[in-house]
Amino acid sequence: MKDLLTKINNTAIKFGAQYAEARAQKLFKTMLTLKEERVEAAKQGIENGVALRVLVNGAWGFASVGSLNSEILESAVSDACRMAKMASSRLKTPIKLAEAKVINDRVESKPRKNPADIQMEDKIKTALAVNKTGLGFDKRVKSCTIDYLDLTGTSYFVNSDGTSIEQDKLYVWARITASALNEGVFTFSREEIGSTAGYEVFDEQAPEVLGEKVAKRAIEQLNAKSLKGGTFPVVLGPNVVGVFVHEAFGHLAEADLALSGGVLASNMEKKIGSDLVTFYDDGTIEGAFGAFKYDDEGVPTQKTLLIKNGVVTGLMHNRETAQKFNAEPTGNARAEDFRVEPIIRMRCTYMAPRDHSFEELIEKVKQGYYFKSFRGGQANLDGTFQVGIQEGYEIVNGEIGAPVRDASISGNTLETLHKVDAVGKDFQLDQGRCGKGQTAFISDGGPHIRVKEVVVGGST
Amino acid sequence: MAVLEKDTMVSLAENAVNEALKKGATEAEAYVYEGQATSIGIELGQISKTNRIIDRGLGIRVAANKAVGFAYTNILDDSNAVESVILRALSAAKASKPDQDWNGLPQKKPYASPKKTFDDKVVELGSEELVNVASIMLDSAGQVDKRVFPVEGGIGSAYISNAIANSNGITGFDKGTVIECSLATLAKEGGSVTPVCFEFNASRNYNVDPVWVGKEAAKLAVSALKTKSVETKSTTLILTQFALQDLFAYTLVNAVKADNVQRNQSPFKGKIGEKVASENLTIYDDGLFPGGLRTWAFDGEGVPHQKTVVIKKGVLRNFLYDNYSAKKEAKESTGNASRAGYLSTPSIDTTNFHIMPGNKTSDQLLSEVDDGLIIYYLQGAHSSNPVSGEFSVVATPAWKIKKGEIVHCSRGVMLAGNIFELLKNVSLVGSNERQMGQLISPWIQVENVRVIGK
Repeated sequence: MKDLLTKINNTAIKFGAQYAEARAQKLFKTMLTLKEERVEAAKQGIENGVALRVLVNGAWGFASVGSLNSEILESAVSDACRMAKMASSRLKTPIKLAEAKVINDRVESKPRKNPADIQMEDKIKTALAVNKTGLGFDKRVKSCTIDYLDLTGTSYFVNSDGTSIEQDKLYVWARITASALNEGVFTFSREEIGSTAGYEVFDEQAPEVLGEKVAKRAIEQLNAKSLKGGTFPVVLGPNVVGVFVHEAFGHLAEADLALSGGVLASNMEKKIGSDLVTFYDDGTIEGAFGAFKYDDEGVPTQKTLLIKNGVVTGLMHNRETAQKFNAEPTGNARAEDFRVEPIIRMRCTYMAPRDHSFEELIEKVKQGYYFKSFRGGQANLDGTFQVGIQEGYEIVNGEIGAPVRDASISGNTLETLHKVDAVGKDFQLDQGRCGKGQTAFISDGGPHIRVKEVVVGGST
Repeated sequence: MAVLEKDTMVSLAENAVNEALKKGATEAEAYVYEGQATSIGIELGQISKTNRIIDRGLGIRVAANKAVGFAYTNILDDSNAVESVILRALSAAKASKPDQDWNGLPQKKPYASPKKTFDDKVVELGSEELVNVASIMLDSAGQVDKRVFPVEGGIGSAYISNAIANSNGITGFDKGTVIECSLATLAKEGGSVTPVCFEFNASRNYNVDPVWVGKEAAKLAVSALKTKSVETKSTTLILTQFALQDLFAYTLVNAVKADNVQRNQSPFKGKIGEKVASENLTIYDDGLFPGGLRTWAFDGEGVPHQKTVVIKKGVLRNFLYDNYSAKKEAKESTGNASRAGYLSTPSIDTTNFHIMPGNKTSDQLLSEVDDGLIIYYLQGAHSSNPVSGEFSVVATPAWKIKKGEIVHCSRGVMLAGNIFELLKNVSLVGSNERQMGQLISPWIQVENVRVIGK
């Protein structure tokens, strides 16, 4: 494979490319969908292909081909060079790349339980166990869906700088959703788990526990009331803090979005949050969803400090943005598969814990909310964020009160980070997926925190 | 790389079905997909990248004793790969559990010819011409105002074809083209940055207007520069297609899918024939809408596309079915089985979800609003409750309407409510329809929506 990809890169150089990279993958996927203990379909797939990227006169040319045939790849790379050259005619600022260390490595994954070695029957059995406990939890649970995916295989990366990496890929992921219905009230609940370690994730999180967790929330939400919209103090659980860090700050700290006009570009080294705010994006946590050794530009991953005690310290870079900021690439360039080019993505993004207990966080809140679990979130370059809430409670005079339903919080990142006035000493990571044109597997999390005020969207 | 011809694709599908039956499948279905796309990308204010993708593959669904298995591969030029994918589908079915509700694959029915879905000019477009169009769009945005910064965008053309065969004798082939140009911009003044504003043109034929796209994207961003807050209250909204597409995709669309109804996850269950929306609202799912972005001869199971009335003058008339959910109720599929190319089994989705236009122009709609907001982009629509229809989202941004005029922009405005209540409060429907993803719709005016200002 290395010889084939080297040959294609050499062809690109011959056609005038100043840089060329070839990324091949041989992947095998298993997928299951179960609904109410019915296996909708057991699915298996093979995806082999090559992504070619060339830099010609400062413009990118990208080609993706579902083939490992040398002739087809040669023709694709020459097309990519020709198209990039044409696009470069309108360039004002040619693209340049930051230096990256030349690497030759082979990264093997060493799962305790390799999903590729587990029989389909056993995977169905595990999924059925989740489905059964979810559905059997209460007769008001009307539906329960399990989506399961595992992906194994190898990716190969060779570039014209001399880097050559062969890296095993392994992902195990499942999403569980349940809906409940009682007297015309509908509720919905979901959880996701994921791992890059192996199928042993189901030993750590028993299927029965997962099913019950999702079903229990759907049932408790039946008694929840719509909440009053307005500005309130809130305590956020680690699950919501994770999404808040990811959405409200993380995306703004992706250097491509910072360059696009995002509000962080003009706030480097400036204080944009309270002293209690320290965030990392970390690709080095072993087995974590979103962890890997080398990114899809062949750059080693790292633990990147983004904001320390409220001061912006760094951004997440690929080789292109690192050059523009005169910084080091941080290993954040990720491509979902061979069909797409690598772009800057988060890995495992979290807030560092401090010193408060949960009781200390809520005791001073007279009238506010405790938001424990999220459903979706989104951010905009101007710093507007929104996080939807699937599980929340009132806080009245320092005590957790009645459950509330289908709320969301919103605000501007630069204002809201200053309003973080207490941070817990606990810590939790959750696994999920992030959409930025492509899907990336990520984790996020942190401790419980208190925010002095945030806008809460409610319908009454 | 030359595209696969009709005969090649159809025989690939038919051979796979025959092989699967020989190897022990009770029933088999094969779906062959090819997509070839070229695009020119704009990033950070300049044309700086090109993209060419060729993706093809084969997906095989088999049933053996009422247990269903599926496998796919993107390696088509190797007969061993095709044979191994058939075996994988069979082994998946064997590992699976029998489903007593499985009532077989669909039967053969005649196809209508979709109109305005293929244009030779789109196939023949060279990258040089695409670069020109992108350049025109970029220049048009720049001419509007110096404060505008084009964040990203571009132009892309695609050729897509698919073939299907099943063991009930279905064979089908269809091909189509799509071209799309889009631009996302923001405006900057002093330390202030607007939210990202976006415009696009998408068409099955070579019919895009890069000047309009560039100008509109830029104008919206400029008008979002000066903002004032709005008060918290219940008010009138004009929802543009951007907002409607986002809101409906995560709520209303779920409620009309037959599988969700059967699984007790739709508030519309048992409400066929009942009034569920304002009588101003009529909605069709029209898989044959001429030139529609989701117009094809047949769906992901080879069932002919059709026009299905979903809501007529506020009364719920039909749900959307694939073959499985239809057979469960002894009904016929409405041709709503959708597939993600060769990578997935079919699942129910809308084709072109068509909200029928009324007779008010956009200016007339605005002039009817004494005090309200017009909403373009929403943030967080995907966090809506997909079953109950409750939403709590941010308008990024909203524009205030006073006495029929747009007076200023407002940021951070939250909207909260329930989509099924909102449907009942539709007071006016515009005539300015356009397609956006699955939705074809005009602007819609709704009353009494909770707005949380700052």
